[in-house]
Amino acid sequence: MANDPLTARGAQRILDRALRDGGLYADVFCERRSTVQMRSQEGAIHEAGLSQNLGAGVRVVVGESAGYAYTEDLTEERLIEAAGRAAAIARLTAEGSARATRLESLERARDALYDRTRTENAAPAHLAALLERAESAARASESRIVAVNAHVVDEVQELWIARSDGSFRFDRRPMVTLGVQCIARAGRERGTGYCADGGRTSVGFFESTTPEQLAREAARIAAVNLDARPAPAGEFETLIGAGGGGVLLHEAVGHGLEGDFNRRGVSLYSGRVGERVASDCVTIYDDGNLPEERGSAAFDDEGTTCGHTILVERGILRGYLHDELNARLMGMRSTGNGRRQSFRHLPQPRMCNTYMPPGDVPLDEMIASVRDGIFAKSFAGGQVDIGKGDFVFMIAEGYRIERGRLGAAVKNATIVGNGPDAMTKVTAVGNDARLARRHYTCGKGGQYVPVGVGMPTLKISAMSLGGTERE
Amino acid sequence: MSEEEARDRARRAVEIALAAGASDAEARIVLARRFNAQARGERITKLDASDGRSLSMRLFLDGRKATLAGTHWSDEEIRAGVSSALEQARCVGVDPYAGLPDPCSLPDRRLDLYDKAIEKRNDDERLDDVRNVERSIRAADARIDNSNGSSYHDACVTMALANSRGALGSYRGTQAALSASPVASEGAYRRTAHYGDASRFLARLDTPNAVAREAVRRTVAFCGASKPPTQTTAIVFDREVAAGLLADLFAACNAANVAVGNSWLAGRIGERIGSDLLEIHDDGTIPGALGSSPFDDEGVPTQRTTVFERGTLRSFLFDTYYARRLGARSTGNASGGGIGPNTFFLAPGKQTPEALVAATARGILVMETIGFATEHASGLYSRGARGIMIRDGELAESIEEFTIAAPFPEILAGIDAVANDLKFDGSIAAPSFRVAEMQVSGSQSAS
Repeated sequence: MANDPLTARGAQRILDRALRDGGLYADVFCERRSTVQMRSQEGAIHEAGLSQNLGAGVRVVVGESAGYAYTEDLTEERLIEAAGRAAAIARLTAEGSARATRLESLERARDALYDRTRTENAAPAHLAALLERAESAARASESRIVAVNAHVVDEVQELWIARSDGSFRFDRRPMVTLGVQCIARAGRERGTGYCADGGRTSVGFFESTTPEQLAREAARIAAVNLDARPAPAGEFETLIGAGGGGVLLHEAVGHGLEGDFNRRGVSLYSGRVGERVASDCVTIYDDGNLPEERGSAAFDDEGTTCGHTILVERGILRGYLHDELNARLMGMRSTGNGRRQSFRHLPQPRMCNTYMPPGDVPLDEMIASVRDGIFAKSFAGGQVDIGKGDFVFMIAEGYRIERGRLGAAVKNATIVGNGPDAMTKVTAVGNDARLARRHYTCGKGGQYVPVGVGMPTLKISAMSLGGTERE
Repeated sequence: MSEEEARDRARRAVEIALAAGASDAEARIVLARRFNAQARGERITKLDASDGRSLSMRLFLDGRKATLAGTHWSDEEIRAGVSSALEQARCVGVDPYAGLPDPCSLPDRRLDLYDKAIEKRNDDERLDDVRNVERSIRAADARIDNSNGSSYHDACVTMALANSRGALGSYRGTQAALSASPVASEGAYRRTAHYGDASRFLARLDTPNAVAREAVRRTVAFCGASKPPTQTTAIVFDREVAAGLLADLFAACNAANVAVGNSWLAGRIGERIGSDLLEIHDDGTIPGALGSSPFDDEGVPTQRTTVFERGTLRSFLFDTYYARRLGARSTGNASGGGIGPNTFFLAPGKQTPEALVAATARGILVMETIGFATEHASGLYSRGARGIMIRDGELAESIEEFTIAAPFPEILAGIDAVANDLKFDGSIAAPSFRVAEMQVSGSQSAS
């Protein structure tokens, strides 16, 4: 194992400098990240890439303001210089001052959330073998597949976080992802399918969830989309699929509950804790402690232990997701949701893994109950407007439901809705809750972090589908 | 580190790679001095000033390619990284098209990319700008009662490139950007919009007041908006939204997508796809534009490429690898290990956007879209949208919570008017334009 690039003694001097001109709080976030990526195309390994990043950022907090500076040069001289630049915020905003508490000795995370013993990236030959297996399985499973693009990413992130309240913590987080994209073609018509999985684990994960399974699933979706008919336009009763359908919770509710928006009063959920925001069959959690999930961590990127937060309980808004800065300004405690993309970024309150527990309705009963509607089985992604609550998501696999029976597949279309409106129209919750395959990444303010989602099948009485066919 | 030192370091990295066994190598160094500030109300809420650096290398080993990227760049660190990357390269398939561009001298063109005024700016001037945006949004309209924060950003960037075929070059560029995100309360809802401007030159950047006014206009426009009925109607794409649509079109013109069949334009060169008004170019040589540079990220001189000429597809956009693979020449679009736009833009028309709206009997002016996953393989466009109804050439009520959708070929063939408001404020730019008919999905239609 390589040496710790940040020592308690060094970090102490940086924090002392950071708070010399004022400021209530300071921290140092030091990160070493090694990523190996490999891609296959046309049946061959197309390229391999190695990325190695090491750097540190110093933050000084005064009230609602934060000063920041990072450096890739970890000499003490440069780090002290960065601390001086971060401290500029305190010279602008003279509001209180604090002294850095003496740092504890480095506390290394030891919980059982994920395996921290792996210090090296996976062997290139192992990664190449996974891609080759995915590629040949995809082509073998469906004759109309004309292209298979697979990629695998293996990462080890090590982080050291020293805070002016004396905490000094270390963690090593693994991450692995294998994704397969298939394109099916008949004449000019094309259909795409994508399937990926992984998590905070190692390539050993793909012994139980095999590259063949992921490839066949991607090929199946591509074929479904090739045969799909144009989606209709208009409002429909909609079933949202279990697992990946959880993107709905992430967009329609989760973002609107992030502490920064609510502290500023710019979310439509601002000031509404205790109020009804969804029908009473809706309960939503965010949890950073689910084993090997992408959004899980022993502690967040501010060194705060990740929590289990009840966001909505039987339709009633219970709480927000907080980082340290916004929690303090709202007189609350951080929920361990302070996350950042890298040492080049300031933390923001972000979701970890957002999910809904099961209800009691079987899927076939839910389908049978729809007269004229849509089954949005999985999504390719989504987006939300925090202030108004309007959200969209893009269907990756969807079907018509007519007179209680599953009908033809519909081509990829956008579903649009409004968060609280959609959540009060949830009329049934399936008994089939599960976490989605682990491959979701969330973007906010230009920063991308891995997240998890999960959900049972939900029935929503009316949503707008952005198809091209007028019925 | 100076520009000269960056070139030396890039050249040194190439030497190390060759000594370690690479048959060819390329090194690219980016140095960036960045300043970011955010204001909210009377306070500066974010201040981030950092000098960043990165080294990206491409290594070739007898037709196999591997990349190496990171923050490490002492001789010893490069040697260790190269050795791991070469080990990976051994797992890569031999590809006859992989390799460096054919040797050529890197042009020393004057493209007007660097503004000394940005380099010399002091923090007080920068903070004044962002404070002024924040003050102006509140002064612009009484309905603005909150803010998500106004931002100022600038950067001085040095890029240096060297490869084992003798290429050695560098250039410097600046950019500055101002943006605002005002909030208007309307019952339980908060209306927000984000608007910003960016330029290589401080003097050409919109003033704080202009940025604030435009952001406020886009925010309050939707107060009282309703959900429109499902219908088929003309769509006028506001220039900000038009640029977003062009970004999707760029993906379909990207040779990397074309090569693997992930583009609805694959195999259609020479075909007429859009209306006569569809004239699209990619140009890396526009003086002073944000997307301009003397050479691309693998050292190929940039150029002007006509992608659509009067509706006919003329060319895809290539880097060296995909050009060789598809039997074409690089168009100078190598970007960060893939293919990216220089300035990819739709040629402007003659009328103002106001005249275009006035000439529309019935339709929707779309000012915002939400969502992003266009299927590049099938070419289906579907987005959540917000806009304003047009009746008899007049802007009427504002509408939201609807989608607009159409297959891309129908959108391009349906372009029947293009306005003159093109502005090179990003690497993808478009003037406002109108599509004769698209499907709008909203509430149950009455008709």
